[in-house]
Amino acid sequence: MMKNYCLVEIDCMNQERFLKSCQTIGIDIYHMEYQNEKWIITIQEEDIPKLKRIFYIHYKVIGYKGIRQIRKNIQKNKIFLVCVLLSLCVLYFLSHLILSVEVIHSSKEIRTLILNELEERQIAKYHFKKSFKELEQIKEEIIKKNPTIIEWMEIENVGMKVKVRVEERKLQKETNPKEACHVIAKKEGIIKSLSYSKGEALVSRNDFVKKGDILISGIIHKEEEEKNVVCATGSVQAEVWYKVSLSYPMNYEENKRTGKKRKNIKIQNNRINSFLFKSRIQTYEEENQFLFEIFDTKIYLTTQYEIIKEKKTYTEEEALKRLDSMIEEKFSTMLQEKEKILSKKVLKKEENNGIMNVEVFVSVLEDISMTQEFQRIKGDEDGDAF
Amino acid sequence: MHLYKTIKNFLLDKDYFINIFETQIHIYGFLEVLCLQEEEASFQFENFMLQVKGQNFRVLKLTRNEVLIQGKIKEMTFL
Repeated sequence: MMKNYCLVEIDCMNQERFLKSCQTIGIDIYHMEYQNEKWIITIQEEDIPKLKRIFYIHYKVIGYKGIRQIRKNIQKNKIFLVCVLLSLCVLYFLSHLILSVEVIHSSKEIRTLILNELEERQIAKYHFKKSFKELEQIKEEIIKKNPTIIEWMEIENVGMKVKVRVEERKLQKETNPKEACHVIAKKEGIIKSLSYSKGEALVSRNDFVKKGDILISGIIHKEEEEKNVVCATGSVQAEVWYKVSLSYPMNYEENKRTGKKRKNIKIQNNRINSFLFKSRIQTYEEENQFLFEIFDTKIYLTTQYEIIKEKKTYTEEEALKRLDSMIEEKFSTMLQEKEKILSKKVLKKEENNGIMNVEVFVSVLEDISMTQEFQRIKGDEDGDAF
Repeated sequence: MHLYKTIKNFLLDKDYFINIFETQIHIYGFLEVLCLQEEEASFQFENFMLQVKGQNFRVLKLTRNEVLIQGKIKEMTFL
């Protein structure tokens, strides 16, 4: 058992007599020092009553050591200790709480399905987080329950948020193979390349074709005799033409930084931005530096640069460059892989009230093939009626 | 406590010992303190008496049969 020690202040003229008395009575002195004309001794707490027997000294207990002192310190700092314990409990509680569940997928149906599944398994807002093992188990359960919908999923705890990544299972629809079909032209143009795996090509390179012309026939001939009917497959690249009308303003505004800048703190919560300090610059551009995130609120250090809007007019060269980029932009959404713009030619150009109206002839390399089914008429020997 | 006493008896199996350091003297196993003054300290052992002389003697620790004295030790006499 741990002993309790006391610090006792002794007022005594004769040290030798006191020490001899201590020895006779049986008081063990564990430490002794002289301070301010008084002796400070360390003795066991149970020896204090024995000091009364030394009549010629005055003594005073000035402190404790051991368990009693620890208890006294705890008693003295109990508010602080309770606060520390409480804050640790709150921290533990908050670090194990879910504040939001985010399912990363473009389909709303999938998102709702996953959220419902997770809610059934106690993964929802204001619920406690699950361990890695439990998350793995839940993940497997959900995948097993929805084998036709979910291909893969991952659940992870990110701070106070649960992030779920899902991959949808895409089942290939069984399609009935077409029996007889031609590949026809969906636009008029000049054939530039042709490739086919089934059927018989009726056109060749540099042939001009009109809309609806058969490019690859589904009827196979041998020595002018019809041998077989298949569904023709292939792709035909042709040069097609477009006439594009564009209009754009010749004047534009450019932002120019004045050199004046201000620092601020930006608070972003649910895409709503607010600033900690009032902004003294009226028109500005900002550069954000992410600091930290707490409770779905992102904090940024923002530098606001003051700007002046300058009015400018395009030169002819700049206007043509802009025209090029506008045409590229317009066709980029329409053109697929291996398709490209071959040439551009301005047909008409006129400026009216600061607005440039342009008519451009654009030649494009494009896939013009389209599959079209046909039905054979019984008794028709040629068999190309559809 | 019994275990502690057994270990202590095993380690301190001598009747007495005197350790002298540069500014301290540690005496174990005396029977009685005869004198404890600033310039002199004497202790009664079973078969002899120890007298220590010096300057600025201060008792740091004192139990029934053990004492630790700090100070400048000049002379030690066994009587």
